[in-house]
Amino acid sequence: MKNVVIAGYKRSALTPANRGELARVRPDETAAQVIKALVAETGVEPSDIEDLIMGCAFPEGEQGLNVARMVVFLAGLPQTVAGTTVNRFCGSSMQSIHMAAGAIQLGAGEAFICAGMESMTRVPMGGYNPMPHPGLYQEMPDAYIGMGETAENLARKYQIDRKAQQEVAVESHRKAAAAQAAGKFADEIVTIVDGKITVEADGCIRPDTSQETLDGLKPAFSADGSVTAGTSSPLTDGATAVLVTSEDYAKAHGLKMLARIKSVAVAGCAPEIMGIGPVPATQKALDRAGLKIGDIDIIELNEAFASQALAVIHDVGIDQSKMNLDGGAIALGHPLGATGARITGKAAALLQREGKQLALATQCIGGGQGIATVLEAV
Amino acid sequence: MTEIKKVAVLGAGVMGSGIAAHVANAGVPVVLLDIVPKGANDRSALAKGAIDRMLKQKPAPFMHKKNARLITPGNLEDDLSALADCDWICEAVLEDPTVKHDLYKRVEDVRKDGSIVTSNTSTIPLEKLVEGQSDRFAKDFAITHFFNPPRYMRLLEVVGGKATRPGALDALRQFGEVDLGKQVVVCHDTPGFIGNRIGIYWSFVAMSQAIELGLTVEEADSIVGRPLGIPKTGIFALGDLTGIDLAPHINASMLRLLPETDAFALEFNPKDTLGTLIGGMIEKGYTGRKGKGGFYRRTNEAGEKVREALDLTTGEYRPEQKANLGSARAGRKGLRAVVEHEDKGGQYAWAVLSKVLSYTAEHAADISDSIRDVDAAMRTGYAWKWGPFEQLDMLGPKWFAEKLKADGLPVPALIEKVGDGNFYREENGVAEYFTYDGSYAAVPVPDDAWQLADRKRGAEPIMRNGSASLWDVGDGVACLELHSKMNAIDNDTVAMFAKAAQIDKQGYKALIIGGDYDNFSVGANVGVVLFAANAAMWPVVDQGIGALQDALMKLKYAKFPVVAAVAGMALGGGCEIALHADVVQAHAESYMGLVEVGVGVIPAGGGCKELVTRWMTEKKRPGGPLPALSQAFETIATAKVGTSAAESRELKFLRRSDGITMNRDRLLADAKARALSMVDGYATPEPVVLNLPGATARAAMGLAVTSLVAQGKATAYDAVVAGELGQVLSGGDTDIVDEVTEKQLLSLERQAFLTLVKKTPTLDRIEHMLETGRPLRN
Repeated sequence: MKNVVIAGYKRSALTPANRGELARVRPDETAAQVIKALVAETGVEPSDIEDLIMGCAFPEGEQGLNVARMVVFLAGLPQTVAGTTVNRFCGSSMQSIHMAAGAIQLGAGEAFICAGMESMTRVPMGGYNPMPHPGLYQEMPDAYIGMGETAENLARKYQIDRKAQQEVAVESHRKAAAAQAAGKFADEIVTIVDGKITVEADGCIRPDTSQETLDGLKPAFSADGSVTAGTSSPLTDGATAVLVTSEDYAKAHGLKMLARIKSVAVAGCAPEIMGIGPVPATQKALDRAGLKIGDIDIIELNEAFASQALAVIHDVGIDQSKMNLDGGAIALGHPLGATGARITGKAAALLQREGKQLALATQCIGGGQGIATVLEAV
Repeated sequence: MTEIKKVAVLGAGVMGSGIAAHVANAGVPVVLLDIVPKGANDRSALAKGAIDRMLKQKPAPFMHKKNARLITPGNLEDDLSALADCDWICEAVLEDPTVKHDLYKRVEDVRKDGSIVTSNTSTIPLEKLVEGQSDRFAKDFAITHFFNPPRYMRLLEVVGGKATRPGALDALRQFGEVDLGKQVVVCHDTPGFIGNRIGIYWSFVAMSQAIELGLTVEEADSIVGRPLGIPKTGIFALGDLTGIDLAPHINASMLRLLPETDAFALEFNPKDTLGTLIGGMIEKGYTGRKGKGGFYRRTNEAGEKVREALDLTTGEYRPEQKANLGSARAGRKGLRAVVEHEDKGGQYAWAVLSKVLSYTAEHAADISDSIRDVDAAMRTGYAWKWGPFEQLDMLGPKWFAEKLKADGLPVPALIEKVGDGNFYREENGVAEYFTYDGSYAAVPVPDDAWQLADRKRGAEPIMRNGSASLWDVGDGVACLELHSKMNAIDNDTVAMFAKAAQIDKQGYKALIIGGDYDNFSVGANVGVVLFAANAAMWPVVDQGIGALQDALMKLKYAKFPVVAAVAGMALGGGCEIALHADVVQAHAESYMGLVEVGVGVIPAGGGCKELVTRWMTEKKRPGGPLPALSQAFETIATAKVGTSAAESRELKFLRRSDGITMNRDRLLADAKARALSMVDGYATPEPVVLNLPGATARAAMGLAVTSLVAQGKATAYDAVVAGELGQVLSGGDTDIVDEVTEKQLLSLERQAFLTLVKKTPTLDRIEHMLETGRPLRN
C-alpha cells in the first residue's frame, strides 16, 4: 500500500468569535486565503490536486452550498480540482485527512487539500434552524446534549475539581503565550487580508491567565458546576489546511514532507460524556500502529474543555510534558471544523521541529465520538 | 414657517447631549459639537464621549440604541460648517454670556437664512443674549429651555424676544410638540422663566419651613410629596437626587436677576440655618446621591446596610425614622384636609402652600400669558400632579384668601379678582379658565391634540358598563374607553369589546381604542382568575378565555378599521388587545409586553398566536421555522417588555405599519386620523395559516430551556411554563407540511392556560403578584 504523508500545514490566526478580527471576514474567504498560501508555499502543482476536502461543523449560511467547491474557485485553483464538504463536528477536518489518506491508498488520487473552517461568529453553533428528532429527543435527550454539560459530567465522573481544570487553562495560556512571543507560530499563520482588515496574530491567548483571574468566573453551564468560560475553549473563528499526498508523489515532486500517517481511527462513546471520545479512538489507532502510548513523543490533544482533557489524560496515561507544546485550544481557540487539521498539521510540524519520531493527534466530538491520527517522522 | 429637518446642538454636556439624543429619538439627524479638549488625540472626543456615555446611561436617553447613529459628533473648530444646512441650532454651552456671544458670532457666519438659533440657558435673560448681535441674529433667536433629563421631562419653555420673528417661534412650538413630544410653554423673558421661578422658590420655602416648624426630613417629605400631589421624593430626597451642590449656584443666579422686592430675595438668607447646613454639607462632600449622601444616606456600618437621615437641627446623621403624621394620611381626603389638619404637618403644608401659591398668583401675569401655562409648566417641569392654580381651585380661592387674611397675610390681586369663583370652570359644556384681565376664556381644544375628556364633556356615551364605555369622537369614529382599575380586563371589558365589534351597525365607520388613561391596560384581572381557581371553577376560567379570544377575533375581523391608541403600559392581555387591532398608534414612551409567564401562565388571548404569526410571516427573517419560533418563544418565555415604542417594534409588538406619536396629548387625534385614513376601501385582514414544525420545534425549545435551567437562569417551574408555551408556539400536534389555523392556535392557548392555572406553583405566582406587585421566582 502507498504511504501517505503530510506535506504542508497552514492556518489563519485564530480569533475570538464576535469580537475578534476575523469576525467581519467570511469564513470561505479566510479558508481560500489559507489554501492559496498552502499551495504557493508547498509548491504542489495545482492541477495535480484531486480534491479539496473541507471540514466544517455547521455547513450552512456562508459555510453552506458545498463550500469546499466554492473555496476551490475562491482560492484560484483549477476547475479540475473537485471539492467536498465533510461534517464530523469538531473532528471534521481530521476526517478530511483520513478520507484523503484512504483515497490515496485506494489509488484514487495523489494529492489532496484537507482543510477546515468555522466562523462561530457568522454561523452560530447549533446552526440557524436546529430541528432535532422529537422521538429521539424524548427517548435519548443526551443525543442532543449541550457540550458544556458533557464537560460537567466528566468533571463529576472523574472528580476533577475546579482548581485542576484551571491549572490546565493556566498552562495552556502560558505555553501559547510563550510560543507566540518566541514567534513559533510564524511558520503556520497566513495573514488574512480582506478589504481594510488584516489579520496576522492569534487573538484568544490571554498571557495573564492565572488561578486568581480564573477564580472570579461564574460556572458557565451549571449553576452549581465547576466548568467556566475560562476552562472551556472559546468560540473561535479560523481556518486551517494541510496538504496530504502519497509519499511517492511528494518525493517525485520534491515536496517537503512533515510526517507520514501511520494509523487512524474513529470511535463512538456515550454522548453525555463525549469528551472521553479520544480514549477509545487513540486506543484503536495505537493498536493499528502496533504502538503503546509510551512510544509517542508528541501529543496534540484538543482541549475542548479542561475537564475533558484531564479525563482523557488520565485514561490514556498521557505524559503531559509531551502534550500541546505550543498551547491547546483553551488558549488558542477552537474553530470547530478547523481544529482537526490544525492539531494534525501541528503534530506533524512538531515532529520535525523537535526532531522526534512519533506523534498523536486526537480530539473529542459532540454526539459522543473520538478521532485519532498517529504520525511518524519521515 | 421654518420646517426643522436637521438640528445642531452646540455643547455636549449633560443637557446638550441629552437634547441631541432626544432629537435623534424623533428620527431627526443632529450634529453635536463641543470644544476641542486640550491635548486630545481625538479633536471631537467630547461629543463622541457623550454619545458613548449616553448609550450606557440609565434611564436611557435613547429610546433605541440605534438612534445614536443619527447623531454626528464633531468639534466647534473643525466642524462649524456642518451648521450650514441645519434648520435649528440649539446652544447649550457654559452659562457665560461672553462665551455664548462669541459662539453666536461664529454661528452667524455659517448658518443659512431662516435657520433658528436658540439657547438652552436657564438663567440668562434673552435681552442680554442678543446684545451686540446682528438684527438678522435677533430675528431668528429664541430661548428653548429643556428640563433634565430631556427625554423624560416633558416641559419645554420657549421664550421669544422683542425682535424674534413669529415664524421662528411657531416652528419651535411645532417641532417641540409634534416631533419632540414636549409640552411647549411660551414664557416671558423673566428670571427663571416659569418652572424655575416658582420651583426654586418652592424648594427654598419647603426646606426652610421644615426647619422653621421643626419637622424632620422624613416628615417634610411625607407632606410635600404625595399629599400635595408631588412625587414621593418630596423636597429633601429631591435635593439629593438633583445634587445639593447646585443649590447655591441656582439661588445666587436667581438673586442676581430678581428685584429686591421679590419674596425670594427678601426671605432668602445664605447665612441662616438652612444656608449654613447646606454649605456645610457641600464642604464635606455630602452633595446628594452622586456624592457621599445628602439629606439621606446609606451607610454600611458593622456590615449592615442602614438608611440614615440628617437631623436638621444638629446636622448629624441618625437612623431613618419613618414619618407618622395624621396630616399626611389626610391627603386621601383632599388637599384642604391636609392643610386644615392640626398637627405640624398640616401647619407645614399651609406654610408652604400659602407662600408658594401666593407667590405664583402675584407673579403669574409677569411671567406667563395665562394661568394654564403656569399650571402646565409645574405639572410637566416639576412633575406636580396639580398646577398652582389647580391647587387653589382644590382649596377654594375664596377659602384660601380668607385664611391668608386670618393669618394677617396679604391676598394677591389675582386671587381677590377671582373672588367666589374658581380659576377653571365648565360653562355650558365648555371648559374655561380665568384670564389675567379678570374674565373667563374657553380652553382651546386643538383638532390635533384633543383629549377624550374634551369629547366627553357634556356628552353621553353610546354605551357604558362598569369597565368600559363607547364614545362618539366625531366624523363617524367611535372610541372604546377602558376605565376599570388600571384598565384591567374583566368580563365587562370583554362584553364591551364584543359590542364595539358591531359598532358599524350604528353607523360608525371606524373604532379607536383609547382614552386619557396613564396605562392602556395592564392585562387580565388575575385576582378573578385566582378566585375562580381556588374554587376550582374551571369552566368559568375556560369560558372567560374563550370570551376574550372571541371578542378580540371579532375586533380583528370587524368590517371597519380598528386602531388601538397605546400609551403607558400595554401588558399581557392589554398587549393582546393591541396585537389584534388593524393598526396601533403608540405613544413613543409606551411599554408593551406579553408578561404572562410572570404569573405562571401563557398569553391566551391570542398573544401567542399573533406573535408567532408576525415572526413566521416576517419576510426579512432567515430561512427555516426555528429562528422565527425561537424569537417568539424567547420574547414570551422571558417576558420581554419594550420600554419604548422603538423597542416594541423590534420585539414585534408593533409592526412597521403601526404609528408612533411622540406627544401623549396628540395620541387620540393621531389614532383617529389614522383610522379615518383607512376607511375608504377598507378590507378585513386575510386569515393567516402557518406551517409549524410541531414536536420538532418542541424538542429544540426543550433543549434550550434545559440548558437555561442547568445554568440557573430559569427555575424548574419556568421550564414547565415554557413547555406549555412551546406546545402552543410549535403548533401542537402538527407537522411542517400541515397548515395550522388561527382557531387551532387559540385552542392551544386555551388548553395550555388551563393546564397551567390548575398547578399550585402558578397559583402561588398569581397570589404573590397580587400581594406584592412583583413576580415570584418559583
